[in-house]
Amino acid sequence: MTAPTTTLRSRRTLAKTGVIIGLILGGLFAGLPVLWMLSTSLKPNGEVFANPPKLISDNFSFDAYTQILGNGAQLRFFLNSYIVAIAVTVLTLLVAVLASYAFSRFTFPLSKTINAMIVSVQAVPPITLVIPYFGLVVGLGLYNTYPGLILTHMVFTLPYAIIMMTAYFNTLPKELDESVKVDGGNSWTALWRILVPISVPGLIAVGVYTFMISWNEYLFALTLTRTDDMRTVPIGIQLLMGQHSYEWNQMMAMSILGSIPVLVLFLIFQRRFIGGLTSGAVKA
Amino acid sequence: MTSLTVEKPPSAETEAPTRGKNSWARRLTPFGYLSPTVVLIVVLMVVPIIMVISYSFRDNVIVQDNSVFAGFANYATVLKDPDFLAALKNTFIFITVSMVAHLLLGLGFAMMLNSPLLSGVTKAIFRVVYVLPWLFTIAVIAVIWRLLLDPSGVINYLLTTLNIVSDGVNWLGDPGSALWVVTFVNIWSGYPFFMISLLAGLQGIPGELYEAASVDGANPWQKFWNVTIPQLRPVIISMAVLDLIWTSQQFALIWMMTGGGPLNSTEMLSTFTYKLAFSEYEFSTASASAVIVLLLTMVLAFFYVRQQRER
Amino acid sequence: MAIRKASRTRLIGALTAATVALALGACGGGGSDEASDGTVTLEFAQWWAPELPAGSFDKIINEFQTANPTIKVKLLSGPYASTKQQLVTGAASKTLPDVVGLDGAWVNDFAKQGAITDLSKLMTDASYDQSQLASQIQLEGKTYMIPVVNFVYPLFVNQDLLTKAGVSKVPSTRTEFLDAAKKISASGGNVKGWALPLDTAVPNGIQNDVMSWLWASGGTMLADGKPALTTPQVKSVVDYVKSLNDAGVIADGSLTMKEQDKVEKFTTGQVGMVFDSLAHINLVKKNAPDLKFTIAPVPAEDGYTGKRGIPYASWGIGVANSSEHKAEAFKLVQFLMDQKTNGELATLANGFPGNKNAKPDFSNSDPLFEEAFKIYQEGTPANEFVGLPKSEDLMRSFDENLQLVLTGKSSVDDALSKSQDSWSSVIG
Repeated sequence: MTAPTTTLRSRRTLAKTGVIIGLILGGLFAGLPVLWMLSTSLKPNGEVFANPPKLISDNFSFDAYTQILGNGAQLRFFLNSYIVAIAVTVLTLLVAVLASYAFSRFTFPLSKTINAMIVSVQAVPPITLVIPYFGLVVGLGLYNTYPGLILTHMVFTLPYAIIMMTAYFNTLPKELDESVKVDGGNSWTALWRILVPISVPGLIAVGVYTFMISWNEYLFALTLTRTDDMRTVPIGIQLLMGQHSYEWNQMMAMSILGSIPVLVLFLIFQRRFIGGLTSGAVKA
Repeated sequence: MTSLTVEKPPSAETEAPTRGKNSWARRLTPFGYLSPTVVLIVVLMVVPIIMVISYSFRDNVIVQDNSVFAGFANYATVLKDPDFLAALKNTFIFITVSMVAHLLLGLGFAMMLNSPLLSGVTKAIFRVVYVLPWLFTIAVIAVIWRLLLDPSGVINYLLTTLNIVSDGVNWLGDPGSALWVVTFVNIWSGYPFFMISLLAGLQGIPGELYEAASVDGANPWQKFWNVTIPQLRPVIISMAVLDLIWTSQQFALIWMMTGGGPLNSTEMLSTFTYKLAFSEYEFSTASASAVIVLLLTMVLAFFYVRQQRER
Repeated sequence: MAIRKASRTRLIGALTAATVALALGACGGGGSDEASDGTVTLEFAQWWAPELPAGSFDKIINEFQTANPTIKVKLLSGPYASTKQQLVTGAASKTLPDVVGLDGAWVNDFAKQGAITDLSKLMTDASYDQSQLASQIQLEGKTYMIPVVNFVYPLFVNQDLLTKAGVSKVPSTRTEFLDAAKKISASGGNVKGWALPLDTAVPNGIQNDVMSWLWASGGTMLADGKPALTTPQVKSVVDYVKSLNDAGVIADGSLTMKEQDKVEKFTTGQVGMVFDSLAHINLVKKNAPDLKFTIAPVPAEDGYTGKRGIPYASWGIGVANSSEHKAEAFKLVQFLMDQKTNGELATLANGFPGNKNAKPDFSNSDPLFEEAFKIYQEGTPANEFVGLPKSEDLMRSFDENLQLVLTGKSSVDDALSKSQDSWSSVIG
């Protein structure tokens, strides 16, 4: 009587051990380089290339962090990153919701062409566009301004945001918004009163994704700004790479500090983030 | 997250016949909703693309005030350049290997994170560890990996101390290994989003499907092939295509890690184009190269859109 | 019906919001740089401020503003690695800052692009005494860049490693250098004799670490402004570098090593000898206070007795062609080249002044620095890449061919004749 249960249980234990070992190995793969970043941020620059390497230096200190946090210019990079990333996230959500609503709820000529165009935009390698893009931004008077950077980031975040939101809206029964119309509402009210409130998980998924892309974007953040009061964290990090030498510990400290907002965002929203993706992913 | 045009909610069309009078307004409504997107994309994307295309048919653009029409000469120059062909080959290896590895790692990690054997807390902790590579800007990823992969860096130190290799490996400096190493770093930095999407996909598979399979006597392997994979197929396909597109645009990582070297072994289409433009000042040829890259990635995008429609 | 209208209005509202966002920026960006009181604002793009002690460059600029109350200077600092790309992009849309920091290797390209202006004319207009300038970078007889601070690249030698290897004298010939490098590499502990950064993203190693061998022995890579890479002089350099490589005395990872890595390797005692910018004395001292090192001229061919060329790099300055305030911009150039300011700046940067009469202040600096100044004055500054068109590309193609030699995929002669061909297509 007990034999089958034991084998079943030992099998489960075996499987569980396997999964845990797998998880730990994967975790080392993912986490070790980040651990080394942390370690580098806590040692003096002279010890970065020490051989044999040391995880925790004898001269362990938080100097790099205090230097960054005590420097107004560096903090300004963080402020700029927040302004840009938050604005990009909010505006992307707004614009993407409108576009996705059109794709999900209306049949209209050119729908597929516009759709294809929006997807193809992702296929444009940014580096090839730098020169004409720069000229355009200067021409529009957006050079070295927040709107210039925000609108640029939106071009890169919108396509995927629209793809995700359209898929999410498609999972919601059409009857929901029909009911509003029966009550005398129109498509605009249906969108904001019914669809958007129940799409919060989807919006969070898109929002977290958008925030991350904008927060870490480097090429355009560099090209489209020229004064330090407009520059974002990735540029601030690169400013620590000099002509001849790197400020290793400050660079790593700034990266760690820069990753915190994104990490916090992920921690707060991880369930909803994944949940939001789920509805879009599977039921679509 | 994946489908654009499929499975229109059934009653999508019912509106039209009932309110014929306002057909004009109604027809314009969807365009109204789309207008911010379209304005933004046309002004900030289509215009520069057209400018690049026009550069590619001219000579002496940017560096001189008067440029001349050159026809397809710039395209011929690029296509005949052996470095371009090498870059094409490297890019192909780079993006396909990255994509396959992103898929396999992403799927493996997602399945472990979705395992019913583990407690919620364990899973939550590992979820955070697994997204770590996603949190850093690419410049730092390049720098930290250069530090780790230095001939006398941590990785070689560990490998020699553990007696896995006797001499330090020259990871990035050896033309034979550099491409694989750069690809590996790209795999590290790019798998989390793939993983999260697959995790989301896994969580959406109805439990009844697995129960039904168990009733039919399926073993875990069979469940994986007959339930998990078919259910995940749409996510896998669209993430795979998007991943190819995103990876083909990778420039900063390669530029900062190897600059395309040693001996062009990590030269990609993006670094090749960049050198043409900013080091050789051949903006016309660089634009031609950019347009070719654009056309190649458009093929991927086309495939993506078509795949979306078929479903 | 009313509701429909309302919805359309709101839609239009959303539309306008997007357009307004565009328009708002349009208004914000187009400010004038000349205020009503006649104050002129100059933009000065450079990578120097982050390289200098914090705040010190701002101080110098403040002195300028005090002396010229009608001119305001806005410092735009960028990362060195992307400075050039930024300038190319800016020049393409005629939005280059008024005053720009330049590297000698870029001058030709920017001048041809029409991005930087003819300084000879500005100097004449300002009746500037040109004799005080140590050098000017010219193209077809017109000056486009003035070197503000020069950095020489002597040989840095780790004395502890040298002693440990049993070498008593700092090498001054190629034979002595090879011998010392071999002994250092044989002294164990994963230490190598020399480091050769050949990364192709920024191929400066060709200038600083390869051609320096040539210039040190009075050699040249050009003849009448045309490439001359197949000469016995150049061949002997490449042969020599190959012999160092064959002897296994070059630190691993050379083909993708960057300038910054080279410095780190020396600082951590993993490499015994490097050619490095004098500016690094302080950095090395700061990161490795216990490291005993000295500097010496770059070793020459055995038996060479002539003047030694010393490779150098400059922080150069130029004025944008598109600037509306060229005269004011030149005032800033003049100020930075002024005997007193230039000496101060050179001291801060650990370089040598671009003004002949300026003296760096040795009182607070390292004794090695004074030593270097002697080396500098005894030799001649040599950098043939300055002023060449597409110099970065020239370095890169030479680099790629050298990499083929070092990996055994090409003979020295083939590599040189290939480099000669590719250089000829640019400057032939």
